[in-house]
Amino acid sequence: MIKTIELSKKYGGVTVLNIANLEIPKGQSFGLVGNNGAGKTTYFNLLLDLIKPTTGNVTNHEIQVNASEDWKPFTAAFIDESFLIGYLTPEEYFYFIGELRGMNKADIDAFLSQFDEIFNDEILKKKKYLRDLSKGNQKKVGIIAALIGRPEVIVLDEPFANLDPTTQIRLKKLLKDLTAASNTTLLISSHDLGHVTEVCDRIVVLEKGEIVKDLITSAETLQELEAYFSV
Amino acid sequence: MIKQFINFEWKQFSRSSYFQKGIAIKILLVFLVLYFGGAALMLGIGLFFILKEVLPTLDPIVVVNNFIIYWLLFDLVIRFFMQQLPVMNIKPLMVIPVKRNTVIHYLLGKTVISFFNFMPIFIFLPFSIVLLSQGYPVVNVVCWFFATLFLGLSNNFLNFLINKSNVVFYVLISVLAILIGSEYFNIFKISAPIGEAFNALYSNPWFALILFFIMIGLYYINFSFIKNEFYLDDAVSKKIKEVNATDLSWMNRFGSVAIFLKNDVKLIWRNARPKQVMMMSFLFLFYGLIFFTNKMYNDSPAWLAFAAMFVTGGFLMTFGQLVPSWDSEYYKMLMSQNIPYKKYLESKWYLMVFGVTLSFILSTPYIYFGWKIYGLIVAGALFNIGLNSFITLFGGALNRVPIELNVKAKAFSNTNGFNPTQMLISLPKLFLPMFLFYLPYKFINFETGLMVLGFSGILGIVFKNFFLNKIEKIYQTGKYKTIAAFGEK
Repeated sequence: MIKTIELSKKYGGVTVLNIANLEIPKGQSFGLVGNNGAGKTTYFNLLLDLIKPTTGNVTNHEIQVNASEDWKPFTAAFIDESFLIGYLTPEEYFYFIGELRGMNKADIDAFLSQFDEIFNDEILKKKKYLRDLSKGNQKKVGIIAALIGRPEVIVLDEPFANLDPTTQIRLKKLLKDLTAASNTTLLISSHDLGHVTEVCDRIVVLEKGEIVKDLITSAETLQELEAYFSV
Repeated sequence: MIKQFINFEWKQFSRSSYFQKGIAIKILLVFLVLYFGGAALMLGIGLFFILKEVLPTLDPIVVVNNFIIYWLLFDLVIRFFMQQLPVMNIKPLMVIPVKRNTVIHYLLGKTVISFFNFMPIFIFLPFSIVLLSQGYPVVNVVCWFFATLFLGLSNNFLNFLINKSNVVFYVLISVLAILIGSEYFNIFKISAPIGEAFNALYSNPWFALILFFIMIGLYYINFSFIKNEFYLDDAVSKKIKEVNATDLSWMNRFGSVAIFLKNDVKLIWRNARPKQVMMMSFLFLFYGLIFFTNKMYNDSPAWLAFAAMFVTGGFLMTFGQLVPSWDSEYYKMLMSQNIPYKKYLESKWYLMVFGVTLSFILSTPYIYFGWKIYGLIVAGALFNIGLNSFITLFGGALNRVPIELNVKAKAFSNTNGFNPTQMLISLPKLFLPMFLFYLPYKFINFETGLMVLGFSGILGIVFKNFFLNKIEKIYQTGKYKTIAAFGEK
């Protein structure tokens, strides 16, 4: 359960995020949509304690994120390329994250073998550093690394952007399977309304930092969202 | 267009987080500039009379001319380590209709406006005026003054080349090594003809023209060099190096910090910038030679303690002062991953200890200088491990300059970013060991000085957890600021 109470973030007097109350129950796949500047990434950054809230706080499984570091063992995220270590190879990076999450080399190798489809022979054993991979391949590495060690909360910012169509479809399936098979809480943001409605149980629309819609996904959700955004 | 560039520069300067530092540091910087400027001015005015007093048989201008080569070399070394090269965001300018040449001329012209180029004016202008007032021939003095100006600017452009091209750097280093070597071993006294050449410069005013053309020549070498680099080759078609992975699993014996240590080894090995720093820290090993071979310092052991600390502290100081900047490219990930902050700091501490230990082993030949010197090196190493490491880590908490890891010697990036905050923090690092050694030495004896210096280090190791906890708190407090600053490229 992720609880957000009276959370706001101001930059020089301008409010970029203001959430009075938001509860994301355990196991939910939660989608955040909104135009540029709506506050999606800001919310994720606050959830990961990367920026300081102006007021209020986020509680991740009973742990207030800006008061204790104890949420880190069960939370994983991929926000942007700055989550990758450029001078490592993809394998080394996976092993590194694995070690941080208490998995050894063999565990990681077994774990990675299930993603052959997504990797599409472009990532592993290529003898390339992460900084030399294309944007799309970097994203794949970051997303898969966020799944290492069965975290209970996974945060992905715009996971579909920069990916090729085939991988987008594979990733959607992967995320759906993940939330169906386990009790993982998944938080994603996206500009693609189709993708989020397919993957998420619940969709929240942000506009200028405020929650304007909170929908449980149904057959009509996509239409409703499209109607909302086509102003 | 140039006006626009200047405007951009100003904005980049005044809006960077680097500049948003405390007012105290700004005031101190202004003070430093005033101090050095004033000192140079006083020297320039007084130089003539001082030389007349000390060496009454020689013409002051001849003495100065004999020393010009040393000034040039010293100036070049100082510039190499301290002068900030112009950084311009060239990418956005490549596709808009600005003449390439305009951009490059601007870039090079900007280097002229540097503190380092004003220093010689501060010295040589008053010196020349004094010469004139003493009745030296006007044409000769004026031309000589301009000659020094051209020399300084030639150094300015040469420094740019050295920084940007490894070939030039190594060629210059080799030539200097050969010349100094032949001078030292009396094979060929290079200083004599050079001194004569500079004297000829004064007696034949038109020689200044030669220097003018050398300066212009260097300017155009720079110009064509940059023009050739004025492509995004590295961004568009990257040269991709094949990975040469080495097995570092033997490092697992270091326990819970092993995982970070392994990463740091790769960091140093695979990135241009940390590699450069590694090389630099190796040079520190020889620092002791300057002090230990010089009679002058043998009578002031405080300086020997200072040198001893430097011998083993090279890596600690050059690498350590940029913690956590080394991890700036992926700092957000480190902050949200399953990593306790203390473990991260501890691993950096171990890395520095490792660096000091290695330097210590390599410094064994200093035994040649006797057990007193070696004792100082041992005590200095202990101080480095136990106290200096923590001071350095503490300094890192205040250092929020992001580093581009794999960027070295490219025409449009700053390679030797010099940071005044770092300099301020390094003051206690330099003076504490002198102090710790000197006080007991002065009041009791040499051995007690050694003991106190070494013991201070051991005390630091004993209270390691205490220090790490304190430093962790400081890092935690500055966490958000650091993340924000590292996000700024």
